[in-house]
Amino acid sequence: MTYIIILIVSAVAQYFLPWWVIAPIAFAICAWKSKTAFGAYAAAAGAIATLWVGYAFYLNFNNDGIMLHKIAGLFSENIKFLKILPETPTFFVIMAIIGSQVAGLSAMAGYYFRQFFK
Amino acid sequence: MKFVKFIISFLAAAGLTYVLNRPLGAVPALGRLFNPFEGFWQNGESKLALPPTNLQLDGVKEEVDIVFDDNRVPHVFAKNDHDAYFTQGYLMARDRLWQMEFYTLAASGRLSEVVGERALELDRYSRRMGMADAAKKVYENGKTNKIFDEVLNAYAAGVNAYIKQLKYKNLPVEYKIIGYQPEEWSPYKTILMMMNMRNVLNGGSDDFRMSNALSKYGMDVVKDLFPNYPSNESPIIPTGTKWNFTPVQVPAVPAQTTATLSTSEDVAFDVPQHSPEIGSNNWAVGGEKSATGLPILANDPHLQLTLPSIWYQMQLCTPTMNVYGACLPGAPGVVIGFNKDVAWGVTNVGSDVMDFYQIKFKDNTKKEYWYNGAWKATSMRVEEFVVKGRSESLKDTVFSTHHGPIVYNSASDKNINQNVPVGHAMRWVALEKEGTDLMAFYYLNRAKNYDDYRKALSYYVAPAQNFVFASNQNDISITPNGKLPLKWKEQGKFIMDGSNPAHDWQGWIPVDQNPTVKNPSRGFVSSANQFSTDPTYPYYLGWRFAPSERAIRINERLEKMQKATVDSLRMLQNDNFNVEARRILPVLMKILNADSTETNNPAYQALAKWNMKNDANEVGATIFERWIKELRYIVFEDEFPMKDLNSPMTYPSRNRMWDMVVNEPTAKWFDDVSTKNKQETLQDVVKHSFKASIDSLTLKHGSMSPENWAWNKVKSTDINHLGRLPGFGRQDIPNGGGAGIVNATTELNGPSWRMVVQLDKGWPKAYGLYPGGQSGNPASPFYDNMIDKWAKGELNELLFMKSKDDKSSRILGTVKIIKK
Repeated sequence: MTYIIILIVSAVAQYFLPWWVIAPIAFAICAWKSKTAFGAYAAAAGAIATLWVGYAFYLNFNNDGIMLHKIAGLFSENIKFLKILPETPTFFVIMAIIGSQVAGLSAMAGYYFRQFFK
Repeated sequence: MKFVKFIISFLAAAGLTYVLNRPLGAVPALGRLFNPFEGFWQNGESKLALPPTNLQLDGVKEEVDIVFDDNRVPHVFAKNDHDAYFTQGYLMARDRLWQMEFYTLAASGRLSEVVGERALELDRYSRRMGMADAAKKVYENGKTNKIFDEVLNAYAAGVNAYIKQLKYKNLPVEYKIIGYQPEEWSPYKTILMMMNMRNVLNGGSDDFRMSNALSKYGMDVVKDLFPNYPSNESPIIPTGTKWNFTPVQVPAVPAQTTATLSTSEDVAFDVPQHSPEIGSNNWAVGGEKSATGLPILANDPHLQLTLPSIWYQMQLCTPTMNVYGACLPGAPGVVIGFNKDVAWGVTNVGSDVMDFYQIKFKDNTKKEYWYNGAWKATSMRVEEFVVKGRSESLKDTVFSTHHGPIVYNSASDKNINQNVPVGHAMRWVALEKEGTDLMAFYYLNRAKNYDDYRKALSYYVAPAQNFVFASNQNDISITPNGKLPLKWKEQGKFIMDGSNPAHDWQGWIPVDQNPTVKNPSRGFVSSANQFSTDPTYPYYLGWRFAPSERAIRINERLEKMQKATVDSLRMLQNDNFNVEARRILPVLMKILNADSTETNNPAYQALAKWNMKNDANEVGATIFERWIKELRYIVFEDEFPMKDLNSPMTYPSRNRMWDMVVNEPTAKWFDDVSTKNKQETLQDVVKHSFKASIDSLTLKHGSMSPENWAWNKVKSTDINHLGRLPGFGRQDIPNGGGAGIVNATTELNGPSWRMVVQLDKGWPKAYGLYPGGQSGNPASPFYDNMIDKWAKGELNELLFMKSKDDKSSRILGTVKIIKK
């Protein structure tokens, strides 16, 4: 349930607000809902990973991957080892890690915040 | 314990979020860049996207229709001129905002604000040149012309209407990657954009290099090796054309024609060499030579190719005009194009319009300099540089004389004996303050006949261009045009004496006395950056123009051409014949085969079989091009070192070298001065350079084979991203051509727009394309969609509409701009 709420609220909020709004959202919702620290982390990280990967997949598909290919070219010119990794999955993973870690850590902070007042 | 857990997790979350929201050195803010709601994913243009629905904008007076064709070219139908230029600004911003702003940052020396330290030297150079300052004054002076002011302001309002509604997620991806925001546009920025063109086309000088040669070898040698007119030339204005004017008095050549102080000091700034190779072709054939009985005009301006593309195609239709052509992002109007009645195009004039003066200062404060027997005050301005990644701004003091800014600051402290601080002031046509250049295009866009063309040209200042023209009244014409300094012979070939009033620029060639020709008897006009005229023209324009091979080839083919069609002119644009090889290869081969061992060499045999065309798959072209480069290097680098840091010089022209090979085979220049006890002969250097070429080609490309040494592979044309972002350009484009070839495609330069227009009493037919695409968005299918066709030498038929209601299967849709 927490997972679904974070996913929906973040999707709506990110249409209007900067990307880092996922941090306070995960914080607040997990402070309210979560029962364990790990649960908080998993729900938030999973929700943002799902949301970001899903939306990016849609955009990437519509664009035939042209943008992703150019960004991959740019990064792998500077970070050579990226050249040996499969391009599309690598960049989806990088994105998923960025989003899920910010959300997951914020969710844990939210959970502990609540515990602190209990 | 609970508190600790909270604090740790809170700090971790907040810290990570903070870090990902900020750029780290050259790495952009990753959270912002990667998230799909705002980041780069949003720039991926959808392949499903239909043209946007109608736009409601503040700033149009009446409704505007924009018809998009299948190449994403907008055809703008407005009910008044203001709305047309407003819409042009809006659309260019939509497709090319980042590029437009980048040019203005470059011209005004502000790149380090966005990219940091690495652009600082370039910025210092641009600031010292004073382009920003000049742009401001050009606008101040220009706006007294009401039309000029209205056009620029309407255009700026259109650009700003687009910028205003931009959110981060819609920013061009380069802003996201580099990490900055667009600024408001203004007429001043349009002028800066034009300054950038002046710099690209007119911003080079050989003066310092020539002075070095003069001080080392003396005037006789310089006159011999660096003549003022080449031995083989086919000038733009055909030889024998009468000058229908009474020339004004040309200033007398002073007794002393060069600077008198020592010129052997280090210079703090490396001014780029005069590069007439950034050339272009244009021509028009008259009705008697064309299949239709009316003129056909062609133009292909060569520039350093970049993505987003240099040009942007557009049609602009209002009650006062209906024009189609190539526009410069950042500037209103059409620069190269056609309308119902006329067509025009431009190539660069390689005249010498950037001169340097040696300045003797009174003391190290540089507040006064010696001029005409007295001390004269300099003016001073402090340039401030805000550098990304630096907490404090940097300052640079620039002094100016009546000639212009001090660009060179010599390292005079090394020159203790003299005890006189010496600097170098620059006089440069690009800094001329009256600049209604854009009005020339404004009137050309509306021109109906030859007289309108002549009137339009009178507004043009710089960079001087060869304006080719054709009309459906069967007139053709070409005019090397712009503001050209009235010089004594060889004025500015060397660094001049800044204290001698006779060395000042003393006026201008009257604009109606610029060289021109209308309907010449040969039935065509053409230019390829060669000498504007033969030496009978009463004024001195410069001593070095582009090598004549392209011009010779174009003129000999047009000479023979009968019943010319669009396709015959298109094929001429793609002509790969090597005129230089025709002239010199047999001579060089004869020298080589005097030694029978050479004739067994496969490289020799490839050259012997070569058809003298720089076609994509030719191995002969690869060997020949490499060989003459190597030969020129071996012959001249020892005596005229180009890369010498203290005293750089320039090589005599290739034409001069071939004269020497044929007529003066025992010239002392063939000897390598670095070998003390050996006297090298012409035979030695020809053989040596041939072997060196084969060795270096083998080293770089593997052993000789039709695949490894194919000309296109060795030449390898690249179209890089304007901001040098790796992965955003296109590399190794397969095509032929070369520097002295009509199809002037080299490693980085080439035809940036190819156009052929067939005039007609009814409606013209036009063809064209450029190596790129209409969109500046690297993720758009229209970013580089024309490159493959361009490489093959094909052209697109251009959709020139009579009205917005024209029917065509190529129309994708119409967008209306509605007054808000």
